[in-house]
Amino acid sequence: MLFVREIKKIVKSIPYLIFVAAIIIGLYSQGVFRFDKDPLQEPQPGGVNGSYGYRYDEIPQMVMPSALRNLLSEFSNNNYTTYPIGFMKHVKLGEGEQEGMAEILSEITGSSKETILREVVGIDSAGSDNYTFQIGGDNMQQGEDGNFTIGSDAKQHNEPEKLTFAVRDDLEYSRFRELMKQADDLLGGGSKYAPDSLSQYGTVPLTYEEAKERYKLALNSDQITGGYARLFSDYAGAMVLSVLPVFLAVILCMKDQRAKMEALIYTKKMSGVKLTLIRYAALVIAAMLPVVILSYLSNMVVWGSYSGMRLDYLAPLKYDLGWLMPSVMISTAIGMFLTELTDTPIAVAVQGLWWMFDINLGIKTVHSGYSLFRLAPRHNVGAKAWFKTQDYLDYFQNLMQNRFLMAGISLLLVIFTILIYEAKRKGKFGGNESIKRVFSNFRNRKNQSQA
Amino acid sequence: MNNSIEIKNLNKFYGKKQALYDINLSIQQGMYGLLGRNGAGKTTLMKTLATLLQKKDGEITVCGVPIENAGEIRKIIGYLPQEFSMYPSMNVGEAMEYLAILSGLNSSERKTRIDALLKKVNLTEHRNKKVKALSGGMKRRLGIAQALLNNPRVLIVDEPTAGLDPEERVRFRNLLSEIAEDKIVILSTHIVGDIEATCEDIAIINEGRVIYNGTVDELLQTAEGRVFTMTASKRELPQLKRQLSITSMHTQGNKVHIRFIADTLMQGAKVCEPNIEDAYMLYLHTSGVRDILGEIGGEW
Repeated sequence: MLFVREIKKIVKSIPYLIFVAAIIIGLYSQGVFRFDKDPLQEPQPGGVNGSYGYRYDEIPQMVMPSALRNLLSEFSNNNYTTYPIGFMKHVKLGEGEQEGMAEILSEITGSSKETILREVVGIDSAGSDNYTFQIGGDNMQQGEDGNFTIGSDAKQHNEPEKLTFAVRDDLEYSRFRELMKQADDLLGGGSKYAPDSLSQYGTVPLTYEEAKERYKLALNSDQITGGYARLFSDYAGAMVLSVLPVFLAVILCMKDQRAKMEALIYTKKMSGVKLTLIRYAALVIAAMLPVVILSYLSNMVVWGSYSGMRLDYLAPLKYDLGWLMPSVMISTAIGMFLTELTDTPIAVAVQGLWWMFDINLGIKTVHSGYSLFRLAPRHNVGAKAWFKTQDYLDYFQNLMQNRFLMAGISLLLVIFTILIYEAKRKGKFGGNESIKRVFSNFRNRKNQSQA
Repeated sequence: MNNSIEIKNLNKFYGKKQALYDINLSIQQGMYGLLGRNGAGKTTLMKTLATLLQKKDGEITVCGVPIENAGEIRKIIGYLPQEFSMYPSMNVGEAMEYLAILSGLNSSERKTRIDALLKKVNLTEHRNKKVKALSGGMKRRLGIAQALLNNPRVLIVDEPTAGLDPEERVRFRNLLSEIAEDKIVILSTHIVGDIEATCEDIAIINEGRVIYNGTVDELLQTAEGRVFTMTASKRELPQLKRQLSITSMHTQGNKVHIRFIADTLMQGAKVCEPNIEDAYMLYLHTSGVRDILGEIGGEW
């Protein structure tokens, strides 16, 4: 009964209407209600202009020269681009660290460290006359985008002009990976040399058979609707549901305080455990309600296009509960916990920062899209690429680990919220006042020790 | 069935600051008044009884239940804090329904109890009115109604008449007196008139200490022979204010009639019957408190 009352209290509030409006606008802007414009089509021989698309693969023969070229270029300018916490950062190494990087380059190329330091540093890597990069291998081709792909019979004929750098013939790929890891460590992490980012250096064109295989997986594993539901979840998780529920939680938790109802509620019979759990459940369900409806509205627009084919009509619900709900749970739990702890809306700022950080992690690699601490997992692939179902299946375990971790942390935060609530109810903890007192005592002690 | 509240050697601190000093009280069924200035420690004592604050040491039992057993205490108390409100967007019926659920009442109990209580506090016709649209007096009555939802054995009411107009104040006092027929009702106030109109037993609290504990009649007795009236000219008033503890005065033309507390009869003054306000002022007057207690052996 209390659950129904709490739900009513939430859904009849103006903040909830704003929440729903924000979800609708946010998702509409991402085109999730126009999935019928992105139909799943069987690949035809010849593809589109002879192409079936590309895939990334960590093929040593492609990765090693391409990564070396990139590293040499960044080394020459001492200007490295990294994404250590999701945001782009330009790293400039100190003298000792540049020497360390030169040692790594030396081991990769076979040139001495001194030569590299003397000849490479400061040269204009954009000028093609300054040094030549020997790619090696007979069947590799550099595309317009700068990436290296395996062509059919193409040959590379780069004549050395001034300096020649190439990956040593006898360098094992496992050692190359270690060296890349060292380079990444020198840069503070988050660089393109991190082991899980190396596959970006290998862009391989899909064959007809591979495209056909992807299509079959989209039909059989995703049953078409699963792919669209996943794309909806990708947008909904990243754009709105990882951050908006925190507003609802903060507003609801501050409602007792603002309405001066705390003492009335504290002295009632209902236990803090029951009240907090019911309120948490009400918040999560209230936040999920429009999501479930919108996910079906988004999915239903394509049902008519695949009449006679096997569709999974429960796919939106499965993704809502499995993919999106843990994001809603963690956002709500952070909102409740920090509001109960501080009596302030600080949770909005905390969750907002985490969300921005998570969004900026982007979808650089499939792996990063499913990494353990992702607030919102990413799999931004539509029907044109046949949903890349295999990637999803390959990383399904990672996804589950991430989602269970988020749900687990949420429940842990709810337990802490209950403890804080009970402590406040008995006057053992005064929320914001207690925190202020702790800081004030700390300041006084510091001042005394300085005096 | 034990129908009393026993408080023994209660001490309460806020950090290093002591708010209550060695409080000893025995509160029986009926209205019990806690009188004291703002900041005297009344609210701290009330909150401690309502399980909202933890004591430092001492013992409290409410109807035989130790205060440490907060869950059980909450089942048998009703509490109306000094400052409270309810969700403004809810109407009276919804607010009562919500708090009744929190009080653990089932569906049928809720219906009968809410109907009866709204009738008792004269809010039946305002059942569909939003809480934010209620007047101060109505809100207080709604506060009492919610505190009675679980049919408590003890009702704790903190400064309930503050800010009410005289008519509402009288209605509220009468309501509390009715409720006190079969319950312990603890009324905390700094308004002497509230106590005078409703309570037989009272305690006066000052700076965290109980400086009087007994009946209203006994309190009045302690002030007998120490309250005087006199008429003086307006010119003399500043000097009299410095010399005497004046409890009331009113002017009439050039004359001023004053009522004051003193140990001995002054020239031109007449002894008069003390009222509670006089007695209360007498107790609060620090030197007066010590002298009187020394003479009558009253409680600290």
